[in-house]
Amino acid sequence: MADEFTQRRARTPMERIESALILSTLLLLVVVTVQPLLNLLALSLSDPSKVAGFSGLSIIPDGFSPNVWLLLLQHPYVQRGIFNSVWMTGMSVLIGTVGTALMAWPLSRRELPFRRTIFILVLVTIVFEPGIIPDYFLMKHLGLINNQWSVILYQAVNAWYLIILVRFFEEIPEELLESAQLDGASQFRIFWSIVLPLARPALATIALFYLVFHWNEFFRAMIYLNDQSKWPLQVVLRQFVIGGDKVAIVGADNAANNIGIAQINIRALKAGMILITIVPILAVYPLILRYFTKGTMVGAVKG
Amino acid sequence: MTQTQAIAGSRAHGNVPGLAVSQGGNRGGPSGGFRHWWPFYAMMAPGLIFFLIWHYVPIWEAKMAFEQVRIIPPNIWVGLKNFQMLFSSPVFYQVVLNTLIISGMKLLFVFPVPIVVALLLNEVRSSGARKWIQSAIYLPHFLSWVVIAGVFIALLSPSDGVVGQITQALGFPPVNYMTNTGSIRWILVLSENWRSAGWDSLLYLAAIIAIDPALYDAADIDGANRWQKIRYITLPGITPTIATLFILNMGMFLRADLNQVINFQNDVNSSTIDIIDTYVYRIGLNTGEYSLATAAGLFKAVLGMGLVLISHFVSKRLTGRGLW
Repeated sequence: MADEFTQRRARTPMERIESALILSTLLLLVVVTVQPLLNLLALSLSDPSKVAGFSGLSIIPDGFSPNVWLLLLQHPYVQRGIFNSVWMTGMSVLIGTVGTALMAWPLSRRELPFRRTIFILVLVTIVFEPGIIPDYFLMKHLGLINNQWSVILYQAVNAWYLIILVRFFEEIPEELLESAQLDGASQFRIFWSIVLPLARPALATIALFYLVFHWNEFFRAMIYLNDQSKWPLQVVLRQFVIGGDKVAIVGADNAANNIGIAQINIRALKAGMILITIVPILAVYPLILRYFTKGTMVGAVKG
Repeated sequence: MTQTQAIAGSRAHGNVPGLAVSQGGNRGGPSGGFRHWWPFYAMMAPGLIFFLIWHYVPIWEAKMAFEQVRIIPPNIWVGLKNFQMLFSSPVFYQVVLNTLIISGMKLLFVFPVPIVVALLLNEVRSSGARKWIQSAIYLPHFLSWVVIAGVFIALLSPSDGVVGQITQALGFPPVNYMTNTGSIRWILVLSENWRSAGWDSLLYLAAIIAIDPALYDAADIDGANRWQKIRYITLPGITPTIATLFILNMGMFLRADLNQVINFQNDVNSSTIDIIDTYVYRIGLNTGEYSLATAAGLFKAVLGMGLVLISHFVSKRLTGRGLW
């Protein structure tokens, strides 16, 4: 590759300065990206008495106390939010991945009758979005207002992910399928025992897409779920951080008497809430880097 | 789905295979007939039913834009009255204008950033360092807008946010950028960059890597320096990618990203960043003016469809790559 070639050549001082400048620009980018998150982490782990004057520049906790995290994790709203988010995201990922795979496999068969018609049907939904009011009325007719399934089933089969998977399935060599067909295996059996095992990396990618998408989804939950007990974590976070509703999170009694969680500085509570919401994304981030980047790169080079 | 995701998906995975196939070869097939194909349709059934209910019923429901919604059905057909009301409302023009301004600012100040990031990343020789930098700068793309807005509210807090601390140390007066109508659009631009500048560079980086290494080797032998290689090899090499993404971005001009705006909006700044989508949401679901809101939504949907289709076909023609 060109890299090794240039490395072996002696570099002029000017080139060294350029390299240093490029690297420092990128490092600045890294700092700007990561520092705000580390600052919030440090803030949430600081001694509550020192939070008031905590600098936005610092990334080291001032004193140490796990209180903010403990209080938040013991809080019924937060616990409920975590439970709802895990349940809703889990169901969405399961339904989405299975449904998309089931639809993508037939669509990857070039001779499938009406294949083109079905593709157009799918593409229309990408191009034409009638907006949230008709969607709201659909939910109303389906009886899904204030029902978590209105959020879970949203994008159950995502058009883009479907296209990605169809493209992957098309690459499966025909010979593998023909031999199974000669052995008399049914189409369902072929799909289950030949196609799906081969598609494992693609399915993992799709599942991750759905996971990130649904974990971060808040708008529908905000519109359709009236009861706080049904809210996912993103909506709980939104009410607290964007709405600035401190009483909602610390409780009216605590707020009035300034006891318990109400004694903790609201900045630290907000920081802790934001981080609790990020933790699952951080947990799967290595997988995201592996599958998302690889998938995109491979596709782009080929495309 | 956000516009970057949509574009990323399309860019990465090229054409929808089905549409490239000639129409003639579709029906029948070698072992054609219902007996062969019914298992395939059985597999597709849940997905197809989902698409019909979840995406096509709302298209039908959109006829509300031409009706007066009554509490007790049926609704009354009123023709274009809702649209006349919409177009005579000054708020609607402000909202359309805001949408166009925000999209325009993003096109100017967000779109080019990932290209620069990709060029910079490509100059990093050590692949270990490059991976490390990439892992860090891709992260915000996977955070929700609620989280990002929360981070920005903390960052921009005039009393103890990092931005306030730096500007005040330099002698500027404290400003709350979140509640400042002059700055809030720039906050949208900045936060969009914070979120996607890293991740979106991936597409350009992939295009750079696809450039034939022999070109760089030849340039080295000719004694070309770094800038000459960028100017004469890298940039021309990724121009098709830039052109495709630029045109497709134009197609998304009316989608100023509801998920972002709704989390950055507050009582003070709302007039400057109120976009079509937030307007529809507000007058529809908060005030209950369903017909008017549907009309505004439909206006956006139809114009948006036109823009997307035009940009798709222009891009297909010019660069060979479209939205699907």
